[in-house]
Amino acid sequence: MIEFLSYGFIQRALLTGSVLGATCAVLAVFVVLRRMAFIGVGISHAALGGVALGLLAGLPPVASAGVFSVAVAWVIGLITRRGEVSQDTAIGIFFPTAMALGVALISLSPTYRQDLMGYLFGSILSVAPQDLWLLLGLAGISLGVLALFFKEFLFLGVDEEAAKAAGLPADFLNYLLLSILAVTIVAAMKLVGIVLVSAFLVIPAATGQTLARSVRGMVLLSVASALVSVFMGLWLSWLWNLPSGASIVLFAAALFFASYFGNAVRNRAGALPSDDQGPTPPSGHPRAP
Amino acid sequence: MICAPDGAQAIQVEDLWFSFGNRRVLEGVSFQVAAGSFVALIGPNGAGKSTVLRLLLGVLKPQRGQITILGRPPGGQGRPIGYVPQGIRLPKGFPISVLDVVLMGRYANVGLFRRPGKEDQRLARASLESVGMAHLAGRRFEDLSGGQQQRVLIARALVGDPCLLVLDEPTAGLDPAARARFYGSVCDLQRARGLTLFCASHDVEDVAQHAQNLILLDHTVRAQGAPQEVLKGMAIPEVYHFPPPHVHAEPHGHGGAP
Repeated sequence: MIEFLSYGFIQRALLTGSVLGATCAVLAVFVVLRRMAFIGVGISHAALGGVALGLLAGLPPVASAGVFSVAVAWVIGLITRRGEVSQDTAIGIFFPTAMALGVALISLSPTYRQDLMGYLFGSILSVAPQDLWLLLGLAGISLGVLALFFKEFLFLGVDEEAAKAAGLPADFLNYLLLSILAVTIVAAMKLVGIVLVSAFLVIPAATGQTLARSVRGMVLLSVASALVSVFMGLWLSWLWNLPSGASIVLFAAALFFASYFGNAVRNRAGALPSDDQGPTPPSGHPRAP
Repeated sequence: MICAPDGAQAIQVEDLWFSFGNRRVLEGVSFQVAAGSFVALIGPNGAGKSTVLRLLLGVLKPQRGQITILGRPPGGQGRPIGYVPQGIRLPKGFPISVLDVVLMGRYANVGLFRRPGKEDQRLARASLESVGMAHLAGRRFEDLSGGQQQRVLIARALVGDPCLLVLDEPTAGLDPAARARFYGSVCDLQRARGLTLFCASHDVEDVAQHAQNLILLDHTVRAQGAPQEVLKGMAIPEVYHFPPPHVHAEPHGHGGAP
């Protein structure tokens, strides 16, 4: 373990992975609440089109993928808002189209194929010092927006009509959430890759939801599960020479199943401790309708 | 606290028109709701009840006509309108607590970039107390029964200290006894706080026993007035295509204890 932690590239991978994992984990709470998992899949695969455009145009692929993914997210949001096409259908159109564009463009030059594998499956161990600041900056923007608008995103996710009635700028907040989802996905491509990033936008929050008794508890447990997954996934990857993205996601999934079955056993035993519950009604308390 | 002077109108709607694409939903709708009264908007499915509510809340903008809420256009600043929806659909297992749901009613007062403070927590607990749900503040919202969830949503609407409570099919899915208790407790709150209640409902018989006035909507206002007048009129069988229900309309009657 000490040897594992002594390498510079491992330290950079752990730092980047922890910040990106924590960002994904907080965002994942809203992905679960708003049932946006398929949007995450769509945007992450569409990002490949942006990567390909950047490689061909000689632009930084992360930047081109960021702009492209935000644009795709907005178009999906716009089409869905107009109500003429369902969200599932809109994603089903843009996801394969943008990915096909990426594959077609990349196939034009064989030299790009090595880069393609890195974006598809992640290469957190090869994060260069100059990439580190860009990825941390993108994650910082997403975390900042989530912190500033946390209660508004929560209200919109729980009851959009009431949130609008209370005067919240619902359209602005919806597009803002889509934008930071796209930015986070692009940043997290380095962590687990395009193919697996959508899993990281769901699994930590699902683990947190299984164990938590409050939204605050869900956020904290989601972040904790992401951080443990990043650390253990990277360590197992180093130990057994596994692809780092795959081992991080597999460890996150293992945590989810452990919490799911652990919770089921606990519920069966009739014990349901809580992290912040108030007093429960005394037995025999008259129940409201 | 007085929301409007005696005899003032809490809601004034004049010649309201609204279409979704080519489908015209409202055609010249006009009505008034006196401050401090309980008025129910009834009508069949697709009559435009929810559209009227969304226009009152400022979620939709009128394409023609005028709406005045407590002397101002919808969506303006000032004392907010309390809104009680049919229910909220959370993903299964989402661990939001009853208290957190009620605190959402304070978000407009708290403002952007700030978190609810101790005073907001106190007001949320007091609001839960007013609907008899304070002992369940720490429970998961999804663990409550349908009737309990509706009471929590009323507490959320009341915590912003509104003058007007807008309810959208608030008793959908509740059994008759629960519906009676719900309207009884809502009427008690109305009297205690001097609230104006405006409620869209399918439960014609239930609301007729509690509301002071009914508005029968079928894209346009087909009848309005005291429940007995509206229910005995010719518009009911024409709109519903069956004879009017037998109702003992007793405005401000009580269906049950709060």
